[in-house]
Amino acid sequence: MQAAVSVLIALAVFFSLVGAIGLWQMRDAWQRLHYLALPCSLCAWLIAFAVLLSEKQKQAGVKVLLVALVLFANNAVVTQATARAIWVRSKGQWPPREPPAPPPAEAKE
Amino acid sequence: MNAWMAGAFSLCVGILPCALVCLRTKGVFDRLVALQMAGATVTLALVLLAEAMQRPLFLDLALTQALLSFGGGLVFAHFLERWL
Repeated sequence: MQAAVSVLIALAVFFSLVGAIGLWQMRDAWQRLHYLALPCSLCAWLIAFAVLLSEKQKQAGVKVLLVALVLFANNAVVTQATARAIWVRSKGQWPPREPPAPPPAEAKE
Repeated sequence: MNAWMAGAFSLCVGILPCALVCLRTKGVFDRLVALQMAGATVTLALVLLAEAMQRPLFLDLALTQALLSFGGGLVFAHFLERWL
């Protein structure tokens, strides 16, 4: 059991560090947004499973599951809100404008 | 030092790239994304620290940090969209 917990923690740390280094190396905020998914979804669930495996108390397990759920929602909602804010700040409006309609085809004679 | 404590300290290393992005980039949204990443990393580190110290009550800190990071990210994104 302890070996499984250690493996889960090591995987969580590895993916979290990969996310942090990826965030550091990317060029702009659009690319950096993608690396939020690693700690917020994958690492959160890995650590939650590690705690559930090792912890006997039900209360601690519920709290860790709540933390993982909040981080999971954080990933989806805040990432979408940030991407929308970047778009509005650079393009001026949301939703994006529709592309102009093509001119109607000329009637055949 | 058990696996939980080692994991917590290793996770704290992940805050350094976020701090570098916050300090060195000029784009405000780059800094916001780095702040969100740091918030998620600190939340996970708090969970590991609570388990390392065998104090399940400390998990409340992690839960509070996760909720505040969620709300703070939304508020920052909303205000940076038009007004700041």
